[in-house]
Amino acid sequence: MGVHTVAAPPEAPASTIQTPTRSGWERWRDRYLGIYLSISPFFIIFAIFGLFPIAFALYIAFQQWNGIGDMTFVGLDQFRYLVTDPLFRKSILVTIQIWIISTVPLGLAFLLNQAMRFRMTYRVAFFLPNVTSLVAIAIIFSSIFGNQFGLLNAGLQGIGAERIAWLNEPWGIKVAIAAMVVWRWTGYNAIIYLAGLQAIPDDLYEAAKVDGATQWNLFKDITVPLLRPVILFTLITSSIGGLQLFTEPQILVGNTGGPNNEGLTMVLYLYQQAFVQNQFGYGAAIGWGLFAIIVLFSIANYLIVGRRSDNG
Amino acid sequence: MEHSRSSRRRFLASAAAAPLVLTGCNVPGFSSRPEGDDDTIVLWYWNRSIDPQLFRDFEEAHPGVTVNDQLVGGDYASRFNTTLAGQAFVPDVVALNNDISRYFPDADQFVDLYEMGAEEDRHLYLDWKWKAGETLDGRLIGYPMDTGPLALYYRHDFFEQAGLPTEPDDVTAQFAEWEDYFEAGLELQQALPGVRMMDNVPYIYLMTLMQAQEFYVNRDQVYVGDGESVRRAWDVALQAYGMDLAARVNPFTPDWSAGVSESSFASFVGAVWMKQFLLESGNNVAGTWRVAQTPGGPGNQGGSFIGITKYARNKELCFELIRTIMSPESQVRMYKSLSLFPSAIDALEDPVMSEPEDFFGGQPTAEQFVTTAKELEPFYFSPAYPIAHGIFNQEITDVVLGGAPEDVAWDEAQKQAKRELQHKAPWVKWEEAS
Repeated sequence: MGVHTVAAPPEAPASTIQTPTRSGWERWRDRYLGIYLSISPFFIIFAIFGLFPIAFALYIAFQQWNGIGDMTFVGLDQFRYLVTDPLFRKSILVTIQIWIISTVPLGLAFLLNQAMRFRMTYRVAFFLPNVTSLVAIAIIFSSIFGNQFGLLNAGLQGIGAERIAWLNEPWGIKVAIAAMVVWRWTGYNAIIYLAGLQAIPDDLYEAAKVDGATQWNLFKDITVPLLRPVILFTLITSSIGGLQLFTEPQILVGNTGGPNNEGLTMVLYLYQQAFVQNQFGYGAAIGWGLFAIIVLFSIANYLIVGRRSDNG
Repeated sequence: MEHSRSSRRRFLASAAAAPLVLTGCNVPGFSSRPEGDDDTIVLWYWNRSIDPQLFRDFEEAHPGVTVNDQLVGGDYASRFNTTLAGQAFVPDVVALNNDISRYFPDADQFVDLYEMGAEEDRHLYLDWKWKAGETLDGRLIGYPMDTGPLALYYRHDFFEQAGLPTEPDDVTAQFAEWEDYFEAGLELQQALPGVRMMDNVPYIYLMTLMQAQEFYVNRDQVYVGDGESVRRAWDVALQAYGMDLAARVNPFTPDWSAGVSESSFASFVGAVWMKQFLLESGNNVAGTWRVAQTPGGPGNQGGSFIGITKYARNKELCFELIRTIMSPESQVRMYKSLSLFPSAIDALEDPVMSEPEDFFGGQPTAEQFVTTAKELEPFYFSPAYPIAHGIFNQEITDVVLGGAPEDVAWDEAQKQAKRELQHKAPWVKWEEAS
C-alpha cells in the first residue's frame, strides 16, 4: 500500500511504535479509516437516493397507497393487475417502437470520419444537442411538429402537399418523439463511433482497395465487423435510455400519451399512475415490470456479446 | 398497526431530513422557524395564485408576525404530497388547486376550518364554491380562493358575416342549447369557408361535463359514469364531431395560439382564465372577440382553495391570515393585479367587474362570468374523478382523432372504468343493472 509507506518512513523504528498493546481496531483505523471516509460520500448518497428508494418501491408495490394516508397490504394484487393491464402492454409496445425508430443512423457517424472541410465544426454541431436543455428541445419540437401550423406543415404546404396532424397520428407521435431522441443522441453516438472508426488501421482499407473492393465492400467487410464492440456499446446504452424515455413524450403529448396512448411510454405510464392518479403502489409495480423488461434486454445483449467473444 | 404506521412515518421523515443534515444546508425559510415560534406562518402557493403584496400588508397590520410565503414551482401537488407523507417541513398554510378532492380521503391532515369559526364567513362566498371545499362528512378543508366560470368566447365579425346574432345578449338567447350553437356552426362554416365554429371536440366534452353536478362518481360513491351527465357530455361532443365543427387545435398549444391569430376558428367555450391565453395570442385580432353565456347552461372549470395543515402551530393566526387575504376586498385587488376571478359575492359586485375591456371591443366581459358564477349549482368531485376522467377523455379522443367507432369506445370506456376503479378506488359502489 503506497499510502502506508509514505506515512511511515522506513528509517523510523516502526517496531517500537507499533506496540503489541494496540488493538486491531486502532491499526485498522490508522490504515484504512481515511480511505473509507474518502470513498464514503458516494455510498452514503447512493444509500439515500438509490438503495432506499429501490427498497421502498419494492415495499409499496405490495401496498395500496395514495401517497398520504394509510397503506393497505394487498399482496400480489398490483402485479396481478399489471400483467392483465392492456395499457401497460400498450406502453411496452410504444416504448419499443419509438426505440426502434430512433435507432441511430450509422451513416452520419461514418460521414463525419470522412476527410471533409470544417470537420471539427460538424462534430461540435452534432454534439451540441446533447448538452441542450430537454425542455427547450421539446418546446421547439412541438412547434416543428405542430398539428396545424407547425414548421413541417408549413413546408408541406409550401410544396403543395396536405398538412399532417403530426401529434394526432399514431406514427406521427412516434416519429416526433424519435426525432427528438435522434437529434439529441446522434452526436453522442457519432463521437463514440468516430473513436472506433479511427482505431481501424488504414492499411486494411488500402489493401482492400488494391484488391479491387468497392466502397460498399469496405463498409460491409471491414468497417462493420471491426466496429462491432462499439456498436454493441451504443446498442446497450441506447436500449437502456430508450426503455426509460419520459420527458420527450410527456412534453410533446402530455401525461396521457396523446390520442390512443400512442406516445405512452412505460416510464410515462409509471409517472401518470403514481403522480397524476396517486396510485403509488401500482406505480411501483410498473417500475418493477420495467425492471424485469430491462433485465431481459440486458440478458439478450449479454448473449450477443458472449457469442461474439466465443467466435473471436 | 398504529405502531408500524407511525414508525414508517418517522422513517420517512428522517430519510427526508437526512440529506439536509448531511450536507449541512439550510432549506430556505425553514431555518428561520425555531420550535415554538408562533409568529411565523409558512405558506405554500404557486406562481400567480395569490398576490404576495397581501402577505406584506398582513405583516404590516400584525406587528411581529412574519409570513414566510414560499413560491413552489414544478409539480406542486406531488411536492406537497411528499412533505405530507414525510411529515417534515409541512407548511402551515397551503394553497390547493381545483383537485382538492384528492385530499378528501386524508382530510385529517388539515384543520377543519369550521372549528376555527369559518361558518360566519360562509355568507360572503358563492355557495357552490364554499361547498366544493367541504368533505362529505362536513369538514371544511379548503377556504375559497378564485373560480373558473365558463363562457362562450366568439368572433363578433365572423358571426356578423355569417348572419348570426352578434351582441352578447342575443347570442346567449339564441344559443340556449348546444344543438342551437352547433346548427349555427354549420351556417357559419358555409358562409365562411376556411373558418371552423370551434377549436376542438375533446374540450367540448370536458366543458359539457363541467355543466353537470356530478362526475362519474356521485356523493353516495356510486358509479354514475354510465348515467345521464356523462352520457350527455359524450353525446354533445360527438354531435360536434359528427358535424365537423372543430379546427382540431388543442388548448395550451402553439397551434391554438396560431389558430387565434390566423382566425381559424370563430368561437370556443372556456373558463374565465382562458381570457389570458386569448389576449396573449390574439394581438392582431383585438376588438373582434366577445363573450356570451355558455350554451347548455352555466359551468365551472378550475379555481383554487387555501387550507391549514394539522401541523400549523398558530392555527388562529393562520385562519386570520387566510380570511384576510381571501376577503372580498383582497379578491378585488387580486382580480386587478392577477386576473384571479373572485369567489366572494361582494367582489363579484364590485364596479371593476363592469369596466369596458378594449380587447373585447369595449364589452365588460367580466359581467358574463359574474352571471355564470351566480347561477352555478353545487357540484361534487369524487377522489376517483382523475382516474375515471382519464379513461373517458382518452376514449373520446380516440373517436375524434383516432377514428374509433363511437359505440365501441363507449363500451370500452365503461369496461375500462369498471376495471380501473375496482382496483384503484375500491370504495366506489356499483348499482347492478337490472
